[in-house]
Amino acid sequence: MKLIKISSVWCPSCLIMHPRYQEIVDKYKLELEEYDYDMNADIVEKYQIGDLLPVVIIVDKDVEIKRIIGEKSKKELEQIFENLGV
Amino acid sequence: MTYLDYSATTPVNTDVLDTFNKVSLEFIGNPNSLHKLGVASKNLIEGATKQIAELLNVKESEIIYTSGASESNNLAIKGIALQYQNRGKKIITTELEHSSIYGPLGYLQKLGFEVIFTPLDNYGRVDLKALENLIDDEVVLVSISAVNSELGLRQPIEEIGKLLKKYPKCFFHTDATQCIGKYPISKNFFENVDLASFSAHKFYGIKGIGCLIKKDGINLEPLIHGGKSTTIYRSGTPTTSLIASMSKALRLIFKNNNYDYVGSLNKKIVEHMAKYLDVTINSNEYCLPHILNLSILGVKPETMLHALEEYDIYISTQSACSSNNAKSKAVFALTHDEKRASSSIRISLSYLTTDEDIDKFLVAFDKCYNQLKLK
Repeated sequence: MKLIKISSVWCPSCLIMHPRYQEIVDKYKLELEEYDYDMNADIVEKYQIGDLLPVVIIVDKDVEIKRIIGEKSKKELEQIFENLGV
Repeated sequence: MTYLDYSATTPVNTDVLDTFNKVSLEFIGNPNSLHKLGVASKNLIEGATKQIAELLNVKESEIIYTSGASESNNLAIKGIALQYQNRGKKIITTELEHSSIYGPLGYLQKLGFEVIFTPLDNYGRVDLKALENLIDDEVVLVSISAVNSELGLRQPIEEIGKLLKKYPKCFFHTDATQCIGKYPISKNFFENVDLASFSAHKFYGIKGIGCLIKKDGINLEPLIHGGKSTTIYRSGTPTTSLIASMSKALRLIFKNNNYDYVGSLNKKIVEHMAKYLDVTINSNEYCLPHILNLSILGVKPETMLHALEEYDIYISTQSACSSNNAKSKAVFALTHDEKRASSSIRISLSYLTTDEDIDKFLVAFDKCYNQLKLK
């Protein structure tokens, strides 16, 4: 299972979520692919990223299985990943 | 035209522009040149710096000229973090900052720095006790804006400065961009502030010049390397005419006591909006009267902005330098209300705003409101 994270340096929600996702990645031993919103127009278009950041797309065997948008608490994140059976 | 977006930028004062033109034409020498034309430019810059320092009650050696507040914020944050990273890698800020604060913080986060958001009270003001609880030996910098650009919310900068003075290893930076020229700052305003940023175009100066106040004894890693300019912290040919024009703009705005007048204009708008049950005022009693943030529930901010534009009235949605994010982080931080954060507009006022401007705005607002709500 892989996480594709699209965020931006100027976005406060991205700064807030950065350590929370890092904890999730470490805890569940996930692969993380990170993209900057401003620098990767192709990725933004490909995944149809909207107005709210950060966006984390959970991919399993190249198929998107879930998308997390904006701020979530540590508990909410853990719940999402546990529900996915990670 | 009715311009109500003065917090995004202000029109240049004609006297300031005259100074810029005169200096550009008459002081052609590079201030770093050794000949008399260079010396004349250098002397002019020194005179302007002296005046700016006196007005802000700081030392001349504490003034670094930059291209504007975004550069000043970047220089302060990256400069301190990189210079003092051996001491610690934690930086504290708030959820009410400009994107030119978050940008360098996000960059540093990628380099391994920890960015911590200090809690705010119910009014959106920094909770001093909570801030103090976050301070440890690893914290190298606290960066808190003096006035938030979307809401006009003032932070207790002097109190925060006094608190942080107890922790000499932790530097205090404030983004004073929205504060200079809007309310009379006390003589001691910068006393316990280590670094402060501002930009001339917010107080009727010219775009392209700003300042970072950096107290003596503090070092910074420069962003732009290349030899001494007016200081060692920012290379590049000193911009004599821009510096002289900023000094002029600052002198003029410090003579202009517009707080109560702008307050009366703000009050007039607030009173008018009371008739709408779905219009909420987001700015509170700690906000400057120059910025009035309100939400029109169910109406997209950009839709209202363009509807008013049809009447030749110009307001703003979020801070002009923020992204096109649908939700205002600042309004959400203050109100904890998604709907209000997704429907907020900013009206920003000036001593140049007339009663007639407000009347025109209110008439057009009513028409736009009815038109958009009927849709």
